[in-house]
Amino acid sequence: MDSTYFQYLDYAVYGTAVLVMLTGLYAALVKRSLLKIVIGLSIVDSGLNLLIVTLGYLKGGTAPIFSAGYDGTQTMVDPIPQALVLTAIVIGFGVTAVALSLVIRLWRHHHTLYIDEIKNLKW
Amino acid sequence: MVGTPVLFIAIPLLAAFLIPLIGMVWKESVRIIPGLVLAYLLVLAINLLSYVTVNGPIVEVIAGWAPPIGINLVFNAFSGFLVTIMVFMGLLVWLYSYRFKSNVEYEAARKYFLLLMMLVTGSVGIVLTGDIFNMFVFIEITGISGYALTAFYTGRDSAEASFKYLMMGSIASVLLLLAIMIIYSQLGTLNMADVASKMHLMDPKLKAVSFILFVIALGIEAEVFPLNGWAPDAYAEAPGPVGAAFAGIVVKAAVYALIRYTYTIFDLSGAFNLLIIIGLITLVVAEVAAIRQEKLKRMLAYSSIGQMGLVLVSFGIGTKEGVFAALFIMLNHAIIKPLLFFSGSYLVYHSKKKMISDVDGMGKLAPLTSILFTLGAFAIVGLPPFAGFWSKLSFLMAAADSNMLLIIGLILTVSVVELVYYMRVVNRIFFFKRATHLLARRPTFNAYVVMIVLGLMILGIGFYPDSVSNYLHHAANSLFDKSQYIHSVLTATIQ
Repeated sequence: MDSTYFQYLDYAVYGTAVLVMLTGLYAALVKRSLLKIVIGLSIVDSGLNLLIVTLGYLKGGTAPIFSAGYDGTQTMVDPIPQALVLTAIVIGFGVTAVALSLVIRLWRHHHTLYIDEIKNLKW
Repeated sequence: MVGTPVLFIAIPLLAAFLIPLIGMVWKESVRIIPGLVLAYLLVLAINLLSYVTVNGPIVEVIAGWAPPIGINLVFNAFSGFLVTIMVFMGLLVWLYSYRFKSNVEYEAARKYFLLLMMLVTGSVGIVLTGDIFNMFVFIEITGISGYALTAFYTGRDSAEASFKYLMMGSIASVLLLLAIMIIYSQLGTLNMADVASKMHLMDPKLKAVSFILFVIALGIEAEVFPLNGWAPDAYAEAPGPVGAAFAGIVVKAAVYALIRYTYTIFDLSGAFNLLIIIGLITLVVAEVAAIRQEKLKRMLAYSSIGQMGLVLVSFGIGTKEGVFAALFIMLNHAIIKPLLFFSGSYLVYHSKKKMISDVDGMGKLAPLTSILFTLGAFAIVGLPPFAGFWSKLSFLMAAADSNMLLIIGLILTVSVVELVYYMRVVNRIFFFKRATHLLARRPTFNAYVVMIVLGLMILGIGFYPDSVSNYLHHAANSLFDKSQYIHSVLTATIQ
């Protein structure tokens, strides 16, 4: 098999990340259940995090740590996107926690999770 | 210098974490500490602002990594001016809500003031930071405390409003992060000044895509149509002072971010026209929606959105006079809209549905509150001799200088609409007979102080507009001096 196929395969991870984001966006915008909306928002976050890590990846790169075994010749992957993703994960976790606590409040108030039945404010 | 810009972020953040701990020992401290913190920050902001108008911008390097590698904070005339407004508004919101609902429990007060501190930290951080990813983090801090404050009352439909806000906010944060990563993948830097100086290297298509993502993401926070679906509900369901904090603090920060991206970072030629178009659409739709509202706070919320539209149009003119007018409108909005929220929420205090018709005949029951509301209403529609008149006049003059006659006509037409719906409320307050038996709620002493201070400021700026125009000119100049911004950040050293 020719190696050009594998070159296209390198881009597959970008496609996957975008696909994951679109799946989450579909869930967040189309589903009528509050829990599914929250799950959708968290899937969008995961897809975006995957995309960011991919941006910093170099083929054959090692972990960006200067340790005893490092001889200065190997390429390293970009550490900044990884640091950013860590922050983004924590923020996404916080938002999901707030969202779920709001869902609990809405459940106690309305005894339903379907946004069609929660219509005191116009959606 | 008496302090450095990093204190604006460090002190309220520290206070937010210390409030629950000190509260365990001394319960009253959860109310007192935020006031002390905000008062100190206000003094610091005024000091630093008068320092930078003379000596040029202060660039603070954080953690010993000089730009463009590390995070830096920029306190120049423009960002300093906004920080001063925001901290001042924070102080007034604190004073107003010090004994907000005297039956408020210790538990609730602790959460409220903790979240208020986080809100101030995030908003001030957005304005001061010189790093695009750091700005994202601050936008999230502001957002999360905003969601929680919106859902503060358990009885009303506040959780619903808050969920709506959260949904739009988290989609905004995804788009924002995507835009930041597009810039990073192309230019390999996150520092604003560095991005701005390398922007010409970027592929024009990707540049346009990331700019549009930024506008959508920040537009959600800045209440730009059609992304503002959350705003009327959040304003109506959140406690009164929180509505004022959104109008006076959070929206200002979001508009600042939008302007910083348009003016300093991106050099797209069509960006100013885009600002004018989205501003005009926002203004017209919001004012037309406001006239149809039956709830007082929703009407004020739509009026607030309309004012932000006007600010964007004014920034979109793209001249120094336009920026001056935009900053003047922002300043006036930060003073007048909280006054309307504060006095308005007392006028409909006892009514369940908070309808506009519930203010009928309030002029006799609560004369001082009614007069203050009327003062705010007159000022925001731009009647002379109140503060709003001068900002609208300087906007019209800036538009006339740029030969935008169609815009002038449209703005004046919209102002008539604005006049109609505010005068309708004022008319009801003074000349309608009271239909219900609900009594007026006497505002607390602190609330009176806050409302009277705001009223006096409206009159003060109305009679002596020169007292603020000096600072506004400095701020407008510093926004335009892009090369000085880039130079001062990139040559900053560790003090």
